Amino acid sequence: MSTGQAILERPAAGLVRGAKTLLASPLLLKTAAGIVLLGAWEAVVRAFAPAYVAKPIGIARVFLEVVSDGPFLAAAGATLWAVVKGLLIAITLGLAVGLAMGRLTVVERGLRYYVNSLFATPMIAILPLVTLWFGYNADARLAVIVFAAFFSIAVNTCDGARSVPLDYLEVARSFRARPLSTLLDIVLPSSLPYLIAGMRLAAGRALVGAVVAEFFISIPGLGYYILFNSRTFKHNEAFVAVIALVIVGVSFEAMLNWITRRYLPWARRD
Amino acid sequence: MGPGARWSRHVPVVVSLLAGAAAWEIAAHFTTRAFWAPLSETLESLAESARSGVLTRQAASSFQLYLSGLALAIFAGAPFGLLLARVRWLRVALENYIMMLYATPMVALIPFILSMMGFGFAPKVLVVFLFAVFPILYNTVEGARSIRPELIEVAHAFRSSEWQLWRDVMIPYTLPFAMTGIRQAIARGLVGMVAAEFFLSPSGLGQMIMMGSQNFDTAGLLAAILVIVLLGVGFMDFGRYLEGRFASWRGNDR
Repeated sequence: MSTGQAILERPAAGLVRGAKTLLASPLLLKTAAGIVLLGAWEAVVRAFAPAYVAKPIGIARVFLEVVSDGPFLAAAGATLWAVVKGLLIAITLGLAVGLAMGRLTVVERGLRYYVNSLFATPMIAILPLVTLWFGYNADARLAVIVFAAFFSIAVNTCDGARSVPLDYLEVARSFRARPLSTLLDIVLPSSLPYLIAGMRLAAGRALVGAVVAEFFISIPGLGYYILFNSRTFKHNEAFVAVIALVIVGVSFEAMLNWITRRYLPWARRD
Repeated sequence: MGPGARWSRHVPVVVSLLAGAAAWEIAAHFTTRAFWAPLSETLESLAESARSGVLTRQAASSFQLYLSGLALAIFAGAPFGLLLARVRWLRVALENYIMMLYATPMVALIPFILSMMGFGFAPKVLVVFLFAVFPILYNTVEGARSIRPELIEVAHAFRSSEWQLWRDVMIPYTLPFAMTGIRQAIARGLVGMVAAEFFLSPSGLGQMIMMGSQNFDTAGLLAAILVIVLLGVGFMDFGRYLEGRFASWRGNDR
């Protein structure tokens, strides 16, 4: 590769040269970087932080014990289930509202300001209001998740429904397609990529919403698991829950990417 | 388009805003005060807190926190992102970790920050910084990946100095992506600000919301939320404007 050559010809320090030779095998380079990062974390915590602070070796030591622990699994299940349920509700409602906004001008003009401003609002802010409405229980968590996820789906579906190519709609009209089949066979499929983009955003927001709600309401879940264990100075155990959250977030992202590649290969947007 | 047409375009918007205001007002009469306060009382409470100086003080405190965290994130994230754009081996080494941290719900780290750093201004700034920095890094790195190697080769072939390479290739190419990151950071930073004010030492607009809910002062609670909604809208518009200004720099080869 010629750029690599050009860079290699310049004088460089030994470490840098070593790293550049590693470019030939990116996986090795990435692994090396991971080890360096974890090592730095371990060293900094050992040198400067109190003993209870989470560090890689400590986390590795408790990891298996925590993930086979009943309360942890129950907490992970509760959070995950709430997020999935909330996302399903938000997708159903958001799809309906977004399609209506995208295709019916009156609905769009009527709801635009509300949907756009609540889309821009950090949903944490309404948490105390939601607890006033629902009480300190799992319903409040579900409501926060739905609130956090709904608007990004509605906004994106609306954008998608408005950007349907006019040619398609004209063809549908010339073949006298019924409004319902135009909606289901043309508008819905062509707004799917936007819906996926909205879901990606919504999933992140839903996860944050769930964790924040659990901090606030103190109901069983990964957020509360983190809060409780960090208060009792079991940072290593608490960090395992953070890892679980990262895995949930990353695997949701991977799932959406897979769906896009598998079923919507025509919709390569970046 | 005649004036009549323009007028009819605005009718639904005006009607919807009026209907929303009326619904807000009327909803309060069907529930207890603990659930919902009428718009008139909310605005009164807002005016009252503006008169007494509470709103200004709390908003200023929130702003200070938000801007400190966001500025740190931009000044740390953008240059580091650019460095990753130029130094290819460093980017290949770190990009997956940056992507992972970008996907991490940073809010989960708040309890750790609380028990390590306690109550104060610094831990709250750290929260805003953590919320805001990874979108900037992630998008800048994405931009760096999109620079075609040919461009750098041509620059080398014409014997550009390092500075010229930065000025004419690296920065123009990555800046639009960095701006997308900054737009996301502007929004995420606001979430971080409210989260920090809720869960670390209470202060600013977050404290106003908390106090409203603890005292069952629903009008005060709604007033504070209304301020946050307006801030969110304002910041998002500003972020979109920033992104839009630099969007035309993006090569149209992608």
